[in-house]
Amino acid sequence: MKLQDVAVIGVGMTRFGAHRDRTLVELAREAGLRALDDAGVSFRDVGEAFVGYMQASPMTGIKIMKEFGLTGLPVSHVENASATGLIAFREAAHAVSSGRCDVAMALGFEKMTELASGSTQGRGVGRDTIDSVILPAAYFALWAMRRIYERGTKPEHFARIAAKNWNAGARNPFSHRQADHLVTIEEVLASPKVAEPLTSMMSCPISDGAACAILARKDLARRLRPGRPLVVPLSSSLQTETYTRGHTFLGPVVGPPSMTRDAALQAYEEAGLGPSDVNVALVHDAFANEELEYYELLGFCPPGDAEKLLEAGETELGGRIPFNTDGGLIARGHPGGPTGLAQIHELALQLRGEAGVRQVEGARVGLAHLVGGGSVCTVNLLRRE
Amino acid sequence: MATPERTWVPIEPGFFTIPSDRTEAPRLLGSRCAACGEVFFPRRRICARCLARDTVDVLLGPRGSLYTFTYAHFPLFGSRRADAGGYGVGQVDLPDGPRVQAVLSGGPEEFRIGMEMELELEVLRENSKGEEVVIFRFRPATEPGGAK
Repeated sequence: MKLQDVAVIGVGMTRFGAHRDRTLVELAREAGLRALDDAGVSFRDVGEAFVGYMQASPMTGIKIMKEFGLTGLPVSHVENASATGLIAFREAAHAVSSGRCDVAMALGFEKMTELASGSTQGRGVGRDTIDSVILPAAYFALWAMRRIYERGTKPEHFARIAAKNWNAGARNPFSHRQADHLVTIEEVLASPKVAEPLTSMMSCPISDGAACAILARKDLARRLRPGRPLVVPLSSSLQTETYTRGHTFLGPVVGPPSMTRDAALQAYEEAGLGPSDVNVALVHDAFANEELEYYELLGFCPPGDAEKLLEAGETELGGRIPFNTDGGLIARGHPGGPTGLAQIHELALQLRGEAGVRQVEGARVGLAHLVGGGSVCTVNLLRRE
Repeated sequence: MATPERTWVPIEPGFFTIPSDRTEAPRLLGSRCAACGEVFFPRRRICARCLARDTVDVLLGPRGSLYTFTYAHFPLFGSRRADAGGYGVGQVDLPDGPRVQAVLSGGPEEFRIGMEMELELEVLRENSKGEEVVIFRFRPATEPGGAK
């Protein structure tokens, strides 16, 4: 369903990183208050809230929302693995678009460090069940090895994407990883191997953090922040797997790459836009080789041309279609629940022209993409009006 | 004097066979759609392709072609080998259609896309009854042919 008469009126986030000394409540409160203040609304104005997290226990979202006040607000939990934050955003956009409320809040939070320091079971690395035998890194490495076989891709291509995103992260104060020097392809290749051909610097870190977006009817947005460009969600697709021959049922972390192509086609169609209209793209680069695949699957170049697009520098800041201007999952971080809302945070700044040293000149249309284990894919298109 | 063999039990029932002759390769327990003929692993009662609610049990493997692989440079959780430095992971295309993702046995230099792989069982650990818990994995096939 096409989104109508809804705008992102406020965004806020914590820096992503290892926040071992801060609670989930503190992180969520910081992100939520920043978004409310950015929007210029009171928590009393919020008509519905969608809370996204992956690891904390049931009810955590409702309990944490009380931190902002007890207003009787309807609150719903949203969980779609790594795509959680964008699905919370999607639900909030539809809540406003459908007329259920005038102002909606999407809030994501997570402490992945608590999980990492505890049991390894349940993270896809244990072998106590038949369905959990490999690391996510190994699964995406299977894509990378197949691409090397089919296309002659070099590990240097993956390293170039990782270096680009590390260096973007250094320009983003909210990024987990902030290198104090220009990261090079050689440095990425020399970092420890995780799963052939992926190295640790081609992989996202374990992060904590929170992020929030406030959405409202367009007239409210204009009244609250006169003079500020409107950031308008046009479409938000969500798909699970479609069966094709060669489908892997047991053990995969994320479904077939074609999910991204199909979800993108749906989002473009609903928005009445095509890849050539998009000025900035934020995608699920948990591992650097994914970003290369998404250049093609999101339609920015024909199949087989992703390496050429990369080599021409077109996906860097200043290129035709900059990818992951905030550092992506590799540098900005990937705490699960809030990841998608950090993408909306970056797109809102880009489309408002407030991204500073990371600004994509004249950015009018932004794309946010995530895949999630299980598996799901979501593609979201936003436009400045 | 040979020590008696411990009983092998699957990590989960319903996924693979445990041949009584331990030199024999295990088979995977799959399903074939009675309506459209599509073959799946693991077993399912509803066809993922045509949604027919009629599938029949089939045995799959033990051989297939390596579609892609990687070598993870981490000790595999649950491994019995204290010195285990890493492990292979791959996807194997079975002649009947399913693509099966599993751990591979062998060193990082032993795998090539397209090579023939064969199922084997790996002992993961001992359970409280003194039985050995096994899981399936693939290894490079020792001699060509023989897929049946």
